[in-house]
Amino acid sequence: MTQTENIQELDIPKLVGASFKADNLPIQTGAMSAVQAPPTKVHDILKVILDADKKSALTTISCLDLGENLGVYYHMRLTKGYFTIKTEVPKTDPKTQTITDLLPGASFAELEGTDLLGVTYEGNLLSGHFMLSENWPIGVYPLRKDVNMAEVKLVPSPPQEETDDPNVYKLTIGPQHPALIEPEKLSVTVEGEIVTNVEPRLGYVHRGIEKATESRTYLRDIYLVERVCGICNPSHARVFVAAVEKILGVDVPPRAKYIRTVALELNRLHSHLLTLGHACLEMGFDTLFQYLWRDREPIMDLIELTTGNRVYGSLMAIGGVRRDLNPDHIPKIKATLETLRSKLPGYRDTYQNDKSLRLRMQGVGVLSRDDARILCCVGPVARGSGLEIDVRKDEPYEAYGEIPFKEIVYKEGDAWARMNVRMDEVGESISMIEYALDHLPTGPIKVTVPRIVPAGESTAAIEAPRGELFYYVKSNGTQNPDRVKVRTPTYANLPSFLKTAIGQNYADCPVNFVSLDPCFSCTDR
Amino acid sequence: MYGQVSENMTRHSFSTKIAKEAFSNLFKKRATEKYPAVPANVAEGFRGKQVLNLSNCISCGLCARECPSNAIEMVVVDGKKRPLIHLDRCVFCYQCADTCPRKVFETSKVFELAVTDKSTLVIKPESVSPAQVAPPAPAASSTQ
Repeated sequence: MTQTENIQELDIPKLVGASFKADNLPIQTGAMSAVQAPPTKVHDILKVILDADKKSALTTISCLDLGENLGVYYHMRLTKGYFTIKTEVPKTDPKTQTITDLLPGASFAELEGTDLLGVTYEGNLLSGHFMLSENWPIGVYPLRKDVNMAEVKLVPSPPQEETDDPNVYKLTIGPQHPALIEPEKLSVTVEGEIVTNVEPRLGYVHRGIEKATESRTYLRDIYLVERVCGICNPSHARVFVAAVEKILGVDVPPRAKYIRTVALELNRLHSHLLTLGHACLEMGFDTLFQYLWRDREPIMDLIELTTGNRVYGSLMAIGGVRRDLNPDHIPKIKATLETLRSKLPGYRDTYQNDKSLRLRMQGVGVLSRDDARILCCVGPVARGSGLEIDVRKDEPYEAYGEIPFKEIVYKEGDAWARMNVRMDEVGESISMIEYALDHLPTGPIKVTVPRIVPAGESTAAIEAPRGELFYYVKSNGTQNPDRVKVRTPTYANLPSFLKTAIGQNYADCPVNFVSLDPCFSCTDR
Repeated sequence: MYGQVSENMTRHSFSTKIAKEAFSNLFKKRATEKYPAVPANVAEGFRGKQVLNLSNCISCGLCARECPSNAIEMVVVDGKKRPLIHLDRCVFCYQCADTCPRKVFETSKVFELAVTDKSTLVIKPESVSPAQVAPPAPAASSTQ
């Protein structure tokens, strides 16, 4: 206990300032806590933070066009809050050092920066494309401001490399595969039944949403970022508006906070039930799949009742929520949740104890706590490996600071643990919604905000159903944002699959993969 | 491994728990709905096809400016600018209703918007007369 208290007292900006006193690095506070450092220092600062805070890891790397230079911002998740290491590299020679030796999980974040903005990381070089389509010309970086999209000429796709080595046998999962509803490709190298390597190819549903936000107003961006992901859409909307609210310095009324919490928890309920059912489908347990999806349907009806639409609630607005919770609906919401709660023990018992499910899930894709940290895993994947990170607890937003709930952590680190984290969180979510409805404050649901957002930058994070969802928003004082960086939970969890799949049976790949609750629409943006 | 599986199967396939569950389900209410034979019931406050109260419109064009999907076009009707909604682009967020200073846009429970001719997916301002503003009849009748 004393150790955790010490960590909570740990002041990372102060620590960084003290450790690098000789360099006199400027520290930034306010909407975003950050330090400005030369590229050569980033590695050292990162090491100091990782050593001092045993739960810290990299959230993502935001690359942005600053005119002459390219900004490379390393967003760190700490035990409490977030900290950014800012560095700049010249546009003419955008080179910096990789940090994958410290945090292998940073690899994807670096490769994305290389593909979209041309920042090269020595030690983690990219050949071809990572996010963009094969026929996008090499050397054209879409997120740079000086790119004229109309002039970009697509090139013919290069032929796929084929290996002649008769000992290497490659199997491809996706882009179209029965286990994956969304398109993504995983090239799996096998030796007999055993997986020896996995190579991912992302970007099949890359829609350039980050770029598109730059040409729309903040108001229209809310509806755009909501469409990054269908399943966790209120999370995306809420984290974007929260980032903008931080720049504006707006405080959301208490009632709006509670309504947002209810919407977010209803979303978690439906998302967890969806994935628990989907995992059963992968394991061939169709009965439980049907049961879980049958009981998910009343939750969808509740979302429709509270927001006005089954999937896209469009509830969030900058400064509050768009729709009040009708007091007449509260008994109906509670009754539906009670019905679901009464069914949970049976499902939980099946998930925990059913022999077939245990055979399919236990020992599959084991991820140790240390690996979960250095691979920068988030959400139920991290909590299934005993890593206690939950944005709702670590940096309470909305009403989460006032609502009692238990952080679900399993130590096993296998697919079984990850699924059971979600199963137990369903129960917690029900209690949280009930608490929020019982303690709903009165008052306004929205404050009026100006259309023009002052220049500034901020980060916001939220515990989406799949884990920590992170946004970095930079405003340049106009109606449109200058840069919106989206780091989705699946993007952070994918590197863990590349590690856990190796050495396992090929037939366990789908179960292992689905236990991450992957969402590629999110991943590719 | 195989021994475990077969033991598991024997234990489960004859378990009384499963038999009980199976029999009790015979007498339960069905979980699915008989849509479209029985019209689907959508929630109160559902954001369906828009109903326009054009008599309130002051031709400000804010709805068209704010629309996230550019679904609203201002067209001239009887010398006045009025909103025309392209439903094929509309995402039913009802930002137009929030923006409108005169409450021109109202929600309805109509959600069955499938058509075979895409050009008919518009709400034209001239086609809306006060008589049509009344809540539309349940749309399921056509699908039977």
